[in-house]
Amino acid sequence: MSTKRFTAQILGLASAALLAATVAQADPAAVIRVGSLYEPQNLDNTAGAGQGINEAFNDNVYEALFRLNDDGTVAPVLAEKHDVSADGLTHTFTLKSGVTFHSGEPLTAADVKYSIERVTAETSKSSRKKSLSAIEAIETPDDKTVVIKLKSKSISLPYNLSYVWVVNDAAGDITGKEDGTGPYKLADWKRGSALSLEASDAYWGDKPANAGAMFSYFTEAAALNNALLTDAVDIITSVQSPDALAQFEDTSAFKISEGKSTTKQIMAYNDRVAPFDNVKVRKALARTVDKKMLLSAIWGDRGMVLGSFVPPTDAWYEDLTSVDAYDPESAKALLAEAGFPEGFTFTLETPNYDPHPITAEFLKAELAKVGVTVNIHVITANEWYTKVYQAKDFQATLQEHVNHRDVGFYGNPDFYWGYNNPQVTELVASAEASDSDAQQADKLREANRIITEDAASNWLFLYPQIVVSNTKTTGYPVNGLNAQFFLRGITKE
Amino acid sequence: MKKTTLWIGAILVGINVVIALLTLVWLPYDPTAMSGGRLAAPSWAHWAGTDRLGRDYFTQVMIGARIALTVGVGAALLGGLIGTTLGVLAAFAQRGFDDALAATLDILIAFPTLLLAMLVVAASDGASLGTAILAIGIAMSAIIARLVRILTKRVLAQDYITAARCSGLGWGRIVLVHVLPNIAPTVLVAIALQFGLAVIAEASLSYLGLGAPPPNASWGQLLQSAQSTVFNAPIGVIAPGLALMALVLGINFLADGLRDLLDPERGAA
Repeated sequence: MSTKRFTAQILGLASAALLAATVAQADPAAVIRVGSLYEPQNLDNTAGAGQGINEAFNDNVYEALFRLNDDGTVAPVLAEKHDVSADGLTHTFTLKSGVTFHSGEPLTAADVKYSIERVTAETSKSSRKKSLSAIEAIETPDDKTVVIKLKSKSISLPYNLSYVWVVNDAAGDITGKEDGTGPYKLADWKRGSALSLEASDAYWGDKPANAGAMFSYFTEAAALNNALLTDAVDIITSVQSPDALAQFEDTSAFKISEGKSTTKQIMAYNDRVAPFDNVKVRKALARTVDKKMLLSAIWGDRGMVLGSFVPPTDAWYEDLTSVDAYDPESAKALLAEAGFPEGFTFTLETPNYDPHPITAEFLKAELAKVGVTVNIHVITANEWYTKVYQAKDFQATLQEHVNHRDVGFYGNPDFYWGYNNPQVTELVASAEASDSDAQQADKLREANRIITEDAASNWLFLYPQIVVSNTKTTGYPVNGLNAQFFLRGITKE
Repeated sequence: MKKTTLWIGAILVGINVVIALLTLVWLPYDPTAMSGGRLAAPSWAHWAGTDRLGRDYFTQVMIGARIALTVGVGAALLGGLIGTTLGVLAAFAQRGFDDALAATLDILIAFPTLLLAMLVVAASDGASLGTAILAIGIAMSAIIARLVRILTKRVLAQDYITAARCSGLGWGRIVLVHVLPNIAPTVLVAIALQFGLAVIAEASLSYLGLGAPPPNASWGQLLQSAQSTVFNAPIGVIAPGLALMALVLGINFLADGLRDLLDPERGAA
């Protein structure tokens, strides 16, 4: 015991010393050089700019009433107070005082109303548009108060508002400029290569731990990795294959962090068409695929097998890997019960980018063991969108779903995979009308259990979120939920 | 010296042909069997190691030889047939048709093969071995047609053709008896050279995902999927890369050797 305590003390001392050293040497004038694969198409998140703009701007340049923290919790930012009426239909937000935009104008309730309406507008291309559809009216009784009236109760309103950038209502077109309230302002944007941010002197909150950041954009993962190896960047926001990590094994020079992403690779069936309208067939195929083996083929020993569509950063996560666990023998029996003792043949629409083609080959080999033949049909991302997502003209497809809190898709019978269980639809709707977060989590957990027992889709695995940096750089987000990359806490020696 | 090139070419191509034929009846492993560990290094059990799914890589490279030759032979036959027909037609045709055809061929030759292949894939239901052969064959036929047209015109200008026509020989007979045998050596060499280019074109197409769909392991596709693991398992790009190089080099040597053999004028000079 004494040895243990001694070791603990040594470790404690060592880490304290390390911490002191880091604090002492962290350079507040440092500019963090970030390497990324996701160049924004423009600077407006309601104009189809892609995930890169969330990475660069969320909570860095633009703030919202609430923030989705890196651990999945939601915290107030520009909202100082949030009151909900007894019927749950009226939400009153009081804004923080002393907040100004980078242009110098003060934050008012009208800006918030303008910002929400920008997302819900007819012309908006925001993927979050639908989640705000419960809003009936936005009122601004005074400069500091925003009242949101809802058509139906919406427990996720603060969460959904975390996607709504608060933009100055006088800013106009922001596809090429910005006017936010965040700790950084846009310094320079070189289309096709880089975007730099600098700390804003007039920021209302605590000053960031660095002087700014420079995002460099790469189109090729190998080039991105090389940039870190040659010290052209300090940090790369997401590593796309475990094999690239071998280059960063030298722990004296590099740090690898593995967080929990929200990106799930799934084989989605078209649950409307035979044979996938038969739950026994779906359960059989779920049991035929050795997901652990697939995960290790693609990610080595990283990432995790989920057993359902819900990742651990959602409050309604539970380990459901025991439902329809790997068991080809019982799968064969189920197929026979379903009327397919000899198996069947189906076409798997496979997006042409990694890891879908290799996953398709794996599934083809696995399903062959129970007599099911897979025809791999390789398609582009565009074809996927028109053929699978819009026209729903498919039997089964591979896709990665990147969003946090997206199990609600199974409550929509019109979604591309066509899962239609009235009980789940009802649970998802009533979860949204919950009075508390706990109640919402209970309902969604129950819904997810039903979805999983129905084997609505074949959930393959959760991607790891891997960030690699040089050892001088610390304090960055590890989970990067919804592609956010908070800069304010990052320090560099 | 000249014979050496021919022999080296013949041996390199011969090995590929033997391997391609062998894959029809025997393979070291089932190509879809996940028999080894992830990215295992080359060993006695797995000569070229294994891929990310633990499948034997040597088996896949062997199958790649079959696909490369299938597309090469298919495209060469298609291109040779269409090209020769069009070229002879153009040479015999009236001025207007000849000009129009010549202009079309020039446009087709200027059109990038890869872009053409993408159009063919877009027009059909997804990429397959057939679309690859079709796209490469069409691109190749333009080059052959232009060559055949010029060669045929040259033959047609000879006195013995005039003599043959005076003696009442029909167009068809003239083509079969006088034109084709005369132009055959040059055209065969050109087709052989195009064959090498067709193999590279197929690799490029499948590298871009426009060739045969997985799990038909084409070399281009193997290169593509090994790209992300190039630093920890370099054998993944070396093996198909070497195979591709050996086959194309072999074909080019063979074509060079054939030219020397079939073209006595060149040989004498």
